[in-house]
Amino acid sequence: MMLGPSGPHKAPLQTQHRRLLLLAMSRRSGTCIVVGASSGIGLSVARRLAVEGRKVAMISNREAELRAAAQTIDDALGRPAAFPYAHDVTDLDAAEALFARIEQELGQVDELHYLAGVMPEVALDEFDLAKDRLQVQVNMLGCIAFGNAAARRFLARKSGCIVGITSVAQDRGRLGRPVYNASKAGMDCYLEALRNRLWRHGVQVTTIRPGFVDTQMAKDVKGRKLPAAEAARLILRARDRRKPIAYVPGKWRLIMFVIRNIPSFLFRRMSI
Amino acid sequence: MTTTLGWRDEDVRGFGMAVGGPAKVLRPTTVEQVAEAFADVRARGGTIALRGAGCSYGDAATNAGGHVLDCTQMNSVLDFDPATGIAVVEPGATVRDLWRRSIAHGFWPKVVSGTMSVTMAGAAAMNIHGKNNYALGTFGDCVSWFDLLTPRGELVHCTRESDPELFHAAISGFGMLGCFTKLGLQTKRVHSGRLRVWGIVADDLDHNLRLIEELRSEADYLVSWLDLHAQGVALGRGLLHRADQLRPGEDPEGLCFFDPNLQDVPTKLFGLVPKGWLWPGMWCAVHLKQVAFVNWAKFRAGCREQKHSPYLQSHGAFHFLLDYVPNWQWMTKPGGLIQFQPFVPFAEASRVLRKIIERLQATGFVPYLGVLKRHRPDPFLMTHAVDGFSMAMDIAVSRNKHRREQLWKVCRELGDLVLDAGGRFYYAKDAVLLQSSFARVHGEPAVAKFRALKQRWDPDRLLQTDLSRRFGV
Repeated sequence: MMLGPSGPHKAPLQTQHRRLLLLAMSRRSGTCIVVGASSGIGLSVARRLAVEGRKVAMISNREAELRAAAQTIDDALGRPAAFPYAHDVTDLDAAEALFARIEQELGQVDELHYLAGVMPEVALDEFDLAKDRLQVQVNMLGCIAFGNAAARRFLARKSGCIVGITSVAQDRGRLGRPVYNASKAGMDCYLEALRNRLWRHGVQVTTIRPGFVDTQMAKDVKGRKLPAAEAARLILRARDRRKPIAYVPGKWRLIMFVIRNIPSFLFRRMSI
Repeated sequence: MTTTLGWRDEDVRGFGMAVGGPAKVLRPTTVEQVAEAFADVRARGGTIALRGAGCSYGDAATNAGGHVLDCTQMNSVLDFDPATGIAVVEPGATVRDLWRRSIAHGFWPKVVSGTMSVTMAGAAAMNIHGKNNYALGTFGDCVSWFDLLTPRGELVHCTRESDPELFHAAISGFGMLGCFTKLGLQTKRVHSGRLRVWGIVADDLDHNLRLIEELRSEADYLVSWLDLHAQGVALGRGLLHRADQLRPGEDPEGLCFFDPNLQDVPTKLFGLVPKGWLWPGMWCAVHLKQVAFVNWAKFRAGCREQKHSPYLQSHGAFHFLLDYVPNWQWMTKPGGLIQFQPFVPFAEASRVLRKIIERLQATGFVPYLGVLKRHRPDPFLMTHAVDGFSMAMDIAVSRNKHRREQLWKVCRELGDLVLDAGGRFYYAKDAVLLQSSFARVHGEPAVAKFRALKQRWDPDRLLQTDLSRRFGV
C-alpha cells in the first residue's frame, strides 16, 4: 500500500545540515560571548550563534530565565551549546574576571556581542538620577567593561570580532529619553573609537543600530516592529559582511539621515 | 431593579451564524465583576450563558432572550514557567496568547484547535481536541488545576485529586457548573519551531481510515481532509496530513523559529493580497455551486504536495488552518452554516461514515468541507470522544425555511444512525440534536450524575444556554 514517500525522508534536512556545515567551516570556531542573552534580541542572537555550531556563553542578571533559555537551546540542538553565566553588568569590575573565567572554561573567545540595555519609562518632566545612572551603567559602562576585556585580548591575538548593539536613538538627543539617547551615543562613539584602534590589527568592530524590534523593551511602541529573530539574522549578516555600522532594518539609515539633518531651530520645536 | 453593571443589548450568534438570538451582554474584566453579574441576574431570576470567543458553531454559547457573560476581556497569561512549561491563564486568554508566550521558551500547548481564537475557558468547558487526540487526549488532559466561580458566588480551587468528580464534570460540562476564573495548564517541550509534515493522498474512505490506523502509533499529528463531492469508487477520497515533532538536533535551524512572530499564519496571499479579501471569492464558489470544482482542485494540489513531502512547516502554519482565511464563515452568508460531527467507534466507522456521506449527497446537502480525525476515550463526564473516528462536515444552511427544516431533519436522522452504532456528538459543534439523543450519547447514569452536579452547584439553574435547554440539563 502507498504510504507516500516514507522511506528516505530526511533528504531536505540533510541538505540543510550540509549548508550549515559549510557555513560553520567558513567561520571562526571559537567561543562567543553574548551579554544580555536572557530575552529579546540577545536571546535570538545567542540561538543563531548556537545553530552555527559555536559555543555560546550567555550572560544576564536574570538567572532563572537565563538557565531556562540555555536549557532550551541545548535541548533543541541535542548537544551542550549554551552556557549560562549569571552576572550583573553594572558590576563593572567583575567583567574582566568573568571574561577570563569563560575563556578558561569554554576555550578562547573570538566574538563578543554586547546586547544588554535598559530603557526605563521617563516622564517629560522627570529628572531621576537613579534611572539615569542605571542606563549609563548598563548601556555604556557595561559595554566599555566587556569591550576593554575583549579588545585587550583580540588586539594581542590580532583577530576577533566585537558587535555592539546601540540604537537609532543615538543619532539625536530627543525630548523623550535624554539619558537613553546619551548613553547609546556614548556607547556608539566608544565602539567607533575601538574600531579605529583595532581594525588596523585585523579585529572587526561592528556597530548595530536597530529600529523598533518586537521585544520587552519596545512593548509599548505601537505600529510595525521587526521580529527579534529577524533582527538577529540581520545582525549576524552585518557581522559576516564586516560592516562597520549597520542599521537594522536598513530603512532606518534613510530615516535617521533625514532626522540627523533637521536643524536645531526646527528640531527643538518638534515633538519626535 | 435597575442594574449598574452595563449589560448591553446585542445579537449573539454561534460561529456558524445559523443559530442564536438577542441577549444582554456583559464583558467583565475581573472575577469580582463576574460574581457581581451572577448575583445581579440571580436576584432578577434570569439566566446567564458563559461565552468565550464564540467559536462554537452551534448554540453552546448563545442564550436567546437571556444574559451572556463574554469573558474575552479577562485575557492575560498570568504566568509561564520557562523551566517546567506550566502556564497560568485567565479564562479569556486565547490559544494564540498562550502559544505566543510559550514558544519563545520552546514550549507548545499540548492540545490546540484548528483556530487560535478559542479561549482557554471555552476550550476547557467544551473539552476541545486537536489533531493529536488519539495520542495526547483532549484539552482537559493538559489542565492541571482550575479555579471555578460557582453561580452561588463560591470560588472553588479544584485539581484532579481534590475533587475528581467536579474536575471531570466542569471540564466537558459546557459551562453549566460555573465560570473558570483561572486555569493551570501543562504545555509540552518542542525541540524545533517546525514540524516535519507529509501530505498523503487517500483514494477513498477505507484507504483514508486504514492510513490513519496504520500511522497512528508513530505519527504525532494526523488529520485528513475529505473531498465529499467525490462519488462512487472515489467516495471519501482526500488528503491525509501527518506531522511529526522533530527530535533534538534533527533541525538545528528550527531553534531560530522559537519566535512568536515567525509562527503566525501569514496575513497576505503571495505577500500581496490581504487574506481578509478572500472570503467574497469563496462566497461566490458556494453560491454559484462551484464547491465541487474547488474540492477537485484541492485534491489535485494534494497529489502534487505528496511528491514534495516531507517538508518542514512552522507549528502555527500547520495547526491553524482555519485562520488562513479570516472570516471564512461569511462565505455561507446569509444563511450561515452548521457543522455536523459524528464520532463513530472504530468497528462501525467505515459503514456509518460511508452511509452519512451517501445520504447527504443524495439529499443535496453536500458538505463543502470534511475533516477526518482519530480519537480515544477520556475520563471526562460529558465527553464526546470514542475509540474511533470523527468526521466533521461543514454544511451551508439555506435561508429557505423548508430547506432549513429539511437539513435539521436529515441531520437528526443521521444522528440516530450514529447513536445506534454507539457513536457520540460534540457540543462545540452540534446544533441539531434533541433531548432524547443527549441521554443516548452518554447513557442515563452519566446524565443523571451530571444533573445531580448541576443541582448541587447551580440549584437556581442560573447558568443556561440554548444548548442546555435543548438537552434539558
